[in-house]
Amino acid sequence: MKKWVAFLFLCTIWILHGCNDEEFQQINQHQSFVASVNILEPSVDFFDSDGERIATWKFEKAYTGAALIPYDRLVLYGHQLDEVDIYELSTGKLIQSIETGTGTTNVHYDKKEKLLFVANSESNTVASFNEQGEKQGEIRLKDYPMSMDSHDGKLYVVNYKAPVLSVVDIKSMSLVDEWNIDKSSSGLLIVKETNTLWVGGHGSGSRPNQKVKVLDLDNGQVIQEIQASQMPVGFSKKGDIIYVTNHGSNELFAFDLNGKMLWRKEVGANPFAVAVFKDNVIVAGFDDNQIYILENGEIKRKISTQSGPFQLLVREV
Amino acid sequence: MRKFATKIWVLIIAYLMLTIAFMYIFADFLYEKFYVEDTKSEMIEIGENLQSKYSGGKVTDEYVELVESFNYYSNYDVFAVRNPRELSACVPFEIDYKTLIGPDERRVLLNGENITKIGYEERFKREVVSVILPLVDQNRLEGIIYIYYPLAKITELARTEVAIFIGGGVLFSFLIAILVYQSLKRIMRPLNDLHRAVEQMTEGDYSARVEVASKDEIGLLSEAFNHMAESIQREDEKQKAFLATVSHELRTPISYIKGYSEAIQSQLVEGKEQTEALELIHREAIRMERLTNELLQLVRKEKEEIEMLPIVLSETIRESVKLLEGQGDKKHIHIVQNLDENIIVLGDEKKLKQIFINIIENAIRYSDENAKVTINSYVSDRRAVIEIQDEGIGIPEEDLPHITERFYRVNKARSRSDGGAGLGLSIVKQLVKMHNGTLSIKSAVGEGTQVTITLPIMEEE
Repeated sequence: MKKWVAFLFLCTIWILHGCNDEEFQQINQHQSFVASVNILEPSVDFFDSDGERIATWKFEKAYTGAALIPYDRLVLYGHQLDEVDIYELSTGKLIQSIETGTGTTNVHYDKKEKLLFVANSESNTVASFNEQGEKQGEIRLKDYPMSMDSHDGKLYVVNYKAPVLSVVDIKSMSLVDEWNIDKSSSGLLIVKETNTLWVGGHGSGSRPNQKVKVLDLDNGQVIQEIQASQMPVGFSKKGDIIYVTNHGSNELFAFDLNGKMLWRKEVGANPFAVAVFKDNVIVAGFDDNQIYILENGEIKRKISTQSGPFQLLVREV
Repeated sequence: MRKFATKIWVLIIAYLMLTIAFMYIFADFLYEKFYVEDTKSEMIEIGENLQSKYSGGKVTDEYVELVESFNYYSNYDVFAVRNPRELSACVPFEIDYKTLIGPDERRVLLNGENITKIGYEERFKREVVSVILPLVDQNRLEGIIYIYYPLAKITELARTEVAIFIGGGVLFSFLIAILVYQSLKRIMRPLNDLHRAVEQMTEGDYSARVEVASKDEIGLLSEAFNHMAESIQREDEKQKAFLATVSHELRTPISYIKGYSEAIQSQLVEGKEQTEALELIHREAIRMERLTNELLQLVRKEKEEIEMLPIVLSETIRESVKLLEGQGDKKHIHIVQNLDENIIVLGDEKKLKQIFINIIENAIRYSDENAKVTINSYVSDRRAVIEIQDEGIGIPEEDLPHITERFYRVNKARSRSDGGAGLGLSIVKQLVKMHNGTLSIKSAVGEGTQVTITLPIMEEE
């Protein structure tokens, strides 16, 4: 009996020790990087501006997405996970876990208000947390809130399974407005210069969406429908160019701020994400497990990642 | 039909049904295995053929048309799909829609592998055999070739055959059921006959016999039954004869006694006649006493256990002879004894004596005057052999087998002048048996009789 107790005790110590000791390769605070968040084998690959691998963090937990937040932190969430985990990049350590319950679909950080928003598809809510991980507010929205972007004290949330885009006041976490959009909309970009909101989507039923809708940021009126290829869902903006990935047709489109197509390029296999890192455009191919570095509209380099690169995170310091 | 036969019948039919069911399932299995496999490989061949016509890049309208044009020539439904929605391209995102291929299938196809499936397809709302081939270029799943064939068509093809099969099965079962029923009836007939015969016997009809038609177990049983019935019948007849004999044997002296005593009582006889009558009564009483004693002895012997002691055989024989000397002398019969003095047997002295007395007495009784009776004793094959040979009237051959039966007398006229009640040899037989001995009688009419007895000798330790 005593032996058993001792054994269980040692096991407990070992497990606790193991948990506390989860530590990944450190990322220098002054290191710029682009990171691919891979979800088939939950992991994050960090690359420098030359496309050299800095580190790979492999997780036991089934993370499905991530976001960078200031002062050297990485937020990781999973749709099946109960909590959102925050790692410190320079130490590679888990520094905080925020209980959210399962169903997290996305997180978004608002730099100005220093708030982290967590969208949940089970409770159909968006909750806000302060820097200390304390919940500040919560609002129930429509079916399956997911894509988010914020500007000027307002949070724009796409309800994936409802034809509604919700506009939420960040401070009071109250609903400001609801705009009609297509069902299965996904991907959101606020273009301050034109005071517009670009919304992408997969399309509903068997019909793939081929358009990016440009809404008036003030009233949600559709100003323009930009013809893309198939299922434009990934957005990124640098200067006056907006990049859009079409994951259905494996194409990257470059538009000017008025929605005029500058060029298009077939890149990656089933690319969901696009990002701009320094002077390069980065595209992640979900099916071929590669990220592509493009310079001036041409593929400069392909780099293998862990399985299923789904998101791209960029830090430039 | 009786219960047992019904059970066998049901069992056989059940096994038959099971066999047919198994055959059906097995045939079905083989059918599916071979036919469906064949269909699959043919579809893969077509698919690969079409796949080879894809030259990479986007799946063009021409290619889709080409694939679809194949439907004109093929039994199978063939189509190309390039809609990424159908190909589960959105999968990290939740899909509100049943796609043509699932995310797991997408991963398989992305690796350039084919998928074959059998089962219900939501899209076609029926059971199909389907083969999916990827159109992959630079790790991009640009589209798929989907070929399917409704399983119903395959089963439709088989349906008429299945009907024939089931119909044939039912008819076959029915025929077999009748055949088995008839065969069982045939097989069970001797048993039924036996049953009837047993009932007949129970009711006291010992003449019941069954016909033995085969040499199998039932035939053997019937034969054994017939033997048993014969034995019982014989025993029954014997019993009846025995009772008849006993009553007869007793009635004669009783009527003598009754008659003479009445005559004396009514003084019909007097003087010397009376004395003679009294002597007769006395002699008949003795005769009755002897008869009843012998009967008692016979009955008792059947149950009695005897105490076996070592006995000098020659001594016992000599003593027996001595007891009969009087009788022998009357007829001037010469008794010759060639006895081995060393034989010691295990037995009961009194009973051994009785054996010898009975046999020697018979020898004397059935011999003519001045005849010779020879008694030999010797050891043969570790047994003591005693032979008693006379030169008497002998026994007819047909009587020999029955000579040891109770009240059996060679002289059917039952002449009371020539001796006892016919129980002597029965008693001998029983006594010899008690001693683990054997009794054999050889005889020739007019020449004499030889009785041979063997007894186990006492083994020297």
